[in-house]
Amino acid sequence: MAPDHIVFWVFAPISVGSAVAVLVQRNAVHSALFLIVNFFTLAVFYLVLGAPFLFAVQIIVYAGAIMVLFLFVIMLLGVDRDESLVERLRGQRPMAILLGLGLAAEVFVTVRASIGLARGPADFDQVVNEGGNAEALSRVLFRDYFLPFEVTSILLIVAAVAAMVLAQERERARTRAEAEAFQVAGPGGGVRT
Amino acid sequence: MLRYAWVVPALPLVGAAVNLFFGKKLDRWAGVLASALMLAAFAVALAVLADLLALPAEEQLHVQHLFDWFTVGNLQVAANLRVDPLSITMMLVVTGVGAVIHVYSIGYMDGDPRYGRFFSYMNLFCFFMLALVMAESFLFLYLGWEGVGLCSYLLIGFWFERPAAASAAKKAFVVTRIGDTFMLIGIVLVFLRLGSLEFSRVLVEPGSLAGPQRPSGVYTIIALLLFAGAVGKSAQIPLHTWLPDAMEGPTPVSALIHAATMVTAGVYLVARTHVLFEISGVALTVVLVVGLLTALYAATCALGQDDIKRVLAYSTISQLGYMFFALGLRAYAAAIFLLVTHAFYKALMFLSAGSVMHGLEGEIDLKKMGALRRAMPVTAAMFSIGALAIAGVPPFSGFFSKDQILEMANRAGYTLAWAVALVAAFVSALYIARLIFLAFFGQDRTERRSHESPPVMTIPLAILAVGAIFGGLLGLSAATGRLHVFLGPVLGEVEEHTRGLPAAILTILSVSVAVAAILVGWFVYGSGRIDWLALRVRLAGLHRFLAHGWYVDEVYSTGLVAPAKAGSAFLAYVVDSRWIDGAVNAVGQLFQWGALAGRRVQTGLVRNYGLAFLIGVVAVFVYVGFRL
Amino acid sequence: MRTPISYFVALSAILFAIGTVGVLVRKNALVIFMSVELQLNAVNLALVAFSRMHGNLTGQVLAFLSMVVAAAEVVVGLAIIVNVYRRLHSANVDDASLLRW
Repeated sequence: MAPDHIVFWVFAPISVGSAVAVLVQRNAVHSALFLIVNFFTLAVFYLVLGAPFLFAVQIIVYAGAIMVLFLFVIMLLGVDRDESLVERLRGQRPMAILLGLGLAAEVFVTVRASIGLARGPADFDQVVNEGGNAEALSRVLFRDYFLPFEVTSILLIVAAVAAMVLAQERERARTRAEAEAFQVAGPGGGVRT
Repeated sequence: MLRYAWVVPALPLVGAAVNLFFGKKLDRWAGVLASALMLAAFAVALAVLADLLALPAEEQLHVQHLFDWFTVGNLQVAANLRVDPLSITMMLVVTGVGAVIHVYSIGYMDGDPRYGRFFSYMNLFCFFMLALVMAESFLFLYLGWEGVGLCSYLLIGFWFERPAAASAAKKAFVVTRIGDTFMLIGIVLVFLRLGSLEFSRVLVEPGSLAGPQRPSGVYTIIALLLFAGAVGKSAQIPLHTWLPDAMEGPTPVSALIHAATMVTAGVYLVARTHVLFEISGVALTVVLVVGLLTALYAATCALGQDDIKRVLAYSTISQLGYMFFALGLRAYAAAIFLLVTHAFYKALMFLSAGSVMHGLEGEIDLKKMGALRRAMPVTAAMFSIGALAIAGVPPFSGFFSKDQILEMANRAGYTLAWAVALVAAFVSALYIARLIFLAFFGQDRTERRSHESPPVMTIPLAILAVGAIFGGLLGLSAATGRLHVFLGPVLGEVEEHTRGLPAAILTILSVSVAVAAILVGWFVYGSGRIDWLALRVRLAGLHRFLAHGWYVDEVYSTGLVAPAKAGSAFLAYVVDSRWIDGAVNAVGQLFQWGALAGRRVQTGLVRNYGLAFLIGVVAVFVYVGFRL
Repeated sequence: MRTPISYFVALSAILFAIGTVGVLVRKNALVIFMSVELQLNAVNLALVAFSRMHGNLTGQVLAFLSMVVAAAEVVVGLAIIVNVYRRLHSANVDDASLLRW
């Protein structure tokens, strides 16, 4: 029993279970928490697969930043209240599950055909991650994939600006009653465009 | 002058065109122009007659080629004119009586808003009638035939704002159409079986036509079909119903078209094609029977009418029946003679009736007339002359024409027919006596003021009266009358009959019948000794029966018109509206339904769209998977 | 490492399928968004597994960049959801059906 066997067979069910739980939970906050569990398991897998840097980044960025953002929004909007799980659209659920199974099956078939039981080079950690994974990764990132790196940073800036713009409170068409109430109460908070 | 015979129809045609386009501007001169053209046509016709008489009797025939019209296969159609004794007689009647009636109309139609149009139609009618009688081929005869039918429709419905007039015009057209259709089939058969449409080729002596190649059956069919057309146009049973209703038109129209000329076209047709009828004996018998029955039937109906013009209408039908009766007896010249005298006295009576109506501001009901001879003496005198002529009192023209026919019937051995005709003669004299006594004698029952008509109307009456009185001179005897001899080359020699009673006895019989009827009429209607209104109430059923023309119209209405209307309604509302329109609409609906069903795909829900995506993705995967 | 790489890829497929089903089945917009994140992560896992299989770091670089982009996308997506919520006062995806027939 190699260590990675154990790791895999312990964390894989957790991973799948928490993913299913994300789907099934009524409360959105509970779904978010289960998703965080799922991210943790994935981080462990990255570690096992020889990507310790990604293990760290996954936890810091995904579980630490993105999910926190999610939780912020859930609580801000107050939509963690229980959502009715009655499906109004006929055939949506069965169709979705069926097609999901089909999708998974297809990937299996494709994978079995081409990957088989490959295990990867045995000396991965020594050769590929020479000098540590971070150093090796930075070597590849800043040399071979420099353009995508720069573009991605621009993307980040654009996304930040976009989020600021989108999240502003805008002037919207008001009824006369609302306008009068507004006059009396004075302009509320929020930045005007 | 023979070469210019075409001028005779051309003049009224010009008049029709001028009045059609410039009638409004011409105003009162439209009538003068139309009448002048008719008088000119009459003059030219007289000149043509003179030229014709100059030729020897056997050669009194002039065929003139005017122009080629068209050629289709074996059929070559050309406009040819025929001038022979029969056609010149008809031409003179049309132009002469027509001219007189045009002059009368100048006064009668004065003040009508469509004055010019009226004269245009009248001239157009005369053109077509002349084309009919001067035609050398069946096709041109048919052209004139249809043309006079059209003008009849236009003129009956001249006051088309009145629904009764519009209906009457429609009825006249439709009923005569029935006859015309049969006639057209007959003409087609003439071409198919006899090889040509030209009279000179087809209407030759019987001996050379009948034979193994052309059995008489063909002739019977052709003759009967042509006679069907005559039945329609000349208002014989069973296509007579349009003529009494046609009295909705102006009185000059009734005089010209429905007394003197158009209705006589049928008589002309049979006379012209008598050769075909003679080959087939059956057809002649049919003509005889139809004519005789119509004569009696119409005479009885005339007895029950209260409208002056309807009495005269039924009288016309009855007299036409006499003409066909004569034709059936092979007394063609006698029939034409009756046609000529009838044109005079019937037109005279119609115009006189118009004068009465004009004087009474439009009254037509006999019950509201009486003792008019004091207020309108001239009109009364004219009317009486016509009445005596129609009753068959010598020496008026009507006596000669009617007596000849009765004599020929008896002496040719048709005793039963002669007896029936004699009864009809009695009834004829009776109804006309009733008319005269109710209108001009007896108590004054008028509700309106009455006055005599202006000279422009009474002078034409006088002219016609002269014809009614002295017309008999044209045909004093069936064998030797001037007209009969003149028509001999065309209509065949008159046979001498020797059976039956002697001519003198027959004459005395027919005269006494006429006088007896007049006496009865005076006694019942004129002397005041019998309350004829009470008599009518007592015999109410009989009176209604006669007044409605033996209910023939009602029978047609329920038996033919109603089913036809029901059929049309079915076709219009069910077949057309529901099925055909429904099918077309259904195609449109189909697309609408398809679109309605199709737009349900646009649910607006992201999740549905996502599902659609996934279906597509899976499908692509499957495809790629299989390929790999 | 003795676990066959295909196991990781199979796991990735399962996670991806679960994520897909989640997108289609849930009505809360935020939960749907989370399912999308699940899908993205499943793909990242597959990328890293392939990187191991081929013996170079391309897959890891790709996974790294994918995470960055996912972060940016989450930011913008959540801003949009907040905006839509302000209009509809509901985070229920079925309520945003104005483009319905």
